[in-house]
Parts: sequence; C-alpha cells; structure tokens
Amino acid sequence: MSSLKEIKRKIKSVENTKKTTRAMKLVSTAKLNRAKIAAQQSRVYADKINEVLSEIAFKINQYKVGGIESRFFDEISSPKKVDIIFVTADKGLCGGFNIQTIKAVSNLMQEYKSKKIKVRLRGVGKKGLAYFKFKDIELHSEYVGVSSSPSYEKASEIIKDAIDDFIKGVTDKIILVHNGYLNMISQELKIVDLVPVNPPEYFEEESSKSMMELEPEEDETILESLMKKYFEYNMYYALIDSLAAEHSARMQAMENATNNATERVEMLTLAYNKARQESITTELIEIISGVESMK
Amino acid sequence: MNTLKLEIVTPEGLIFSGNVKNVTLPGSEGEFGVYPNHASLVSLLKAGVIDIELEDSKHEIVAINWGHAKVSENSVTVLADGAVAISGGSDSQVAESLAKAKELIKSIGESSIAIATATAKIESMSKSGILKL
Repeated sequence: MSSLKEIKRKIKSVENTKKTTRAMKLVSTAKLNRAKIAAQQSRVYADKINEVLSEIAFKINQYKVGGIESRFFDEISSPKKVDIIFVTADKGLCGGFNIQTIKAVSNLMQEYKSKKIKVRLRGVGKKGLAYFKFKDIELHSEYVGVSSSPSYEKASEIIKDAIDDFIKGVTDKIILVHNGYLNMISQELKIVDLVPVNPPEYFEEESSKSMMELEPEEDETILESLMKKYFEYNMYYALIDSLAAEHSARMQAMENATNNATERVEMLTLAYNKARQESITTELIEIISGVESMK
Repeated sequence: MNTLKLEIVTPEGLIFSGNVKNVTLPGSEGEFGVYPNHASLVSLLKAGVIDIELEDSKHEIVAINWGHAKVSENSVTVLADGAVAISGGSDSQVAESLAKAKELIKSIGESSIAIATATAKIESMSKSGILKL
C-alpha cells in the first residue's frame, strides 16, 4: 500500500502534466486554424496545376508534340534510381503522425530494393531524419526548421536539387511522401509521383481532340517555367498540408492525453481517499483498544 | 450559344470561375483573344489585364502579374502568380481595387510601358461603363 504522501505527490504530478497537455492542445487548435486556411487556399492552385500538367503530359505522349522529348513526361519502365522526398515534423508529441510517414517511406524503400532500384532519401523535419539516422540509413540531404514555418522560397530551395538531378539524369523518378490534412480529426498519407508526370488514363473526349500548341513556341521555356512552378508549388503545398496535418494530429493526441490525465487523477483521488479512510480507521482502532486496555 | 469555362487561380485561391463568352489574355507574345472552340494552347502570360466578356455581355477585368494559360476547346485555365479582380459595388471600391491592380503590376518591375497599357485599359473600360460592377 502506497503511503498517503506518495499518492498525493502522484496526483499533483499528473495534474501538472494535464495542464501542459491542455495548453499544447489549445496552441495547436489555434495554429491549426491558420494552417488549415493556408492549406485550403493553396489546394485549389495545386489541384489546377496538377490537372494542367497531367493534361499536357497526356497530349505530349499522344501526339509527340514538336520535339519536346522532355524527360518530364517520358514514362520510364525500369527506373534505376529513385529520389524520395519525405516531410515530417520537427517536433514530436503528435501521435502517429511522424511514424506514419516514416513507415510509408520504409515500405517504399523495401519495395524498390526488392526490385533492385536504388533509392535516395531527402528528408524534411527533425523527427524523420532522426529515425533514419538511428537506423543507419543514408540521407542524401536534410532540411530542418522548414516544416514549422513553410515558405515558398524554402520549398523551392528544397526541390531545386532534386529537379537538377532529375534533369541531369542522375535520378529517374521523384516521389514525394507527406501527411496531409483531411479534417479536424484525421490525416491522410499522400504518396505522390512528381515526375515523370503520369497522364490520366481517361480524358473527356472534347479536351483531347486537338494537338497542343505552345506559345512562345521557339523554345521550351514555357514548359520549363511551368514545370518549375509545378515542382515548387507541389513541394510548398506538401509543406503546408503537412503542417496542418501535424497540428490536427497534435491537437488530437493532446486531447487524448488530457482525457487520460483526468481519468488518472480520478483514480488516484479514489485511492487517496481509500488510504486516508484506512489510516483513520487504524488510528481509531488503536485509540479504542488503548482505552479498552486502560479499563 | 457557345460558352467557355474560365477559371483563374492563384496561390491565394480561386479568383474567377464561370462560363464566359470570350476572354482576352495578355500573352507574352502579345495579347490574344479566346472564343469557344479555340485550338489547344499553352501560353506564357505577362503582366497585364485579362478582359472577360460574361454571358450577359458585361465585362469583368482581372489584373495579373505573371502566369500561364492553358486553353482547350471549351475551357481556359489561368494559373497566375498574383491576381486582382477589378470589382466592387461603389466607385470607391472600384478605385481601391484599381489601385491594388496597378500596384500588383508595378510590383514585378515590369517595364513602364506594360504598366501604362494595363492601367490605360483598365481606366478606359471602367469609364465606358461596360464593366459589370
């Protein structure tokens, strides 16, 4: 039986933890609202640019439009080297948020390894990096401090290297893995093949009737600038989306922690009261038996 | 009657979405108009104004700083970096959005000619009263 004092100390400690988790929950809720709005706003643009790009990919593959043998749209049947970019949080205490992404990345690595394809990792966020370092898995490049305050400039900086390698032919495929915001209580893991751009299998007939012209047509600048935008924006969106998801995951994790703490305090209080009652009873018995023996 | 489905999106969100009669875009090689059944086209856009003719023949203007346009037979998608729609119920609101639009075009340091043409176009259109306000 634990002593009264000990139980009291436990109660106090749990209550302090509860205060912390509750504060963290409130902070995450406030941050989530901001991150959510940012993610929703940019979602429209991200969706549109992806749609436009996949349509272009479709047309380029179908008509082999004027000499654009861009690697961006060639479907490679047997890639030799794959770049995986993953986004995790810099901080923990957000439930299975980071682990989910890490698991997905590990699975992808396993899958490619079994096909004898080389995999290169580029990581964003302390937590993911720490995991792979612990496992002694080589990371090609690491970015810390981006996931908590994403900006367009940082996103383009991260993706620039990957695109350059792709254009040079060092890598054949770029995959982006990140956690996305679905709603207040759930996150959705997203695994996106950035390049080569996958054309959709099916297109409405009207939109694929004619060939596509490019303007200005003398060079590929337009496709290049559009692709650049596509990469940067997708990366940026991945960061924002991941941030929103992180906050929603943390909010939920902290809510659970707060609830558990409340439960624990109740249990401990019960135990405390029982122990108190017991000690009073013992004292009473001692007094009574003392009085009895005096008679 | 044939219409085009026009969508203008920026990183800040959707600026315009709807069916229009025709639209004039500031292409990097020069301004071009798009009517329904236009051939597929992808074009770079420079700073300038997008002139939209709505189904009721009223006009709407959106100023952009840079972007891409994808045209297919029945739809036009504009991906712009920044865009300001010239709209508002009263004169003061219009003036305010006009000022914003001018600032947007100026902000990318485009040549003064581009700014002058864009602002002149906005002003002449807003004066002629064909704008839907």
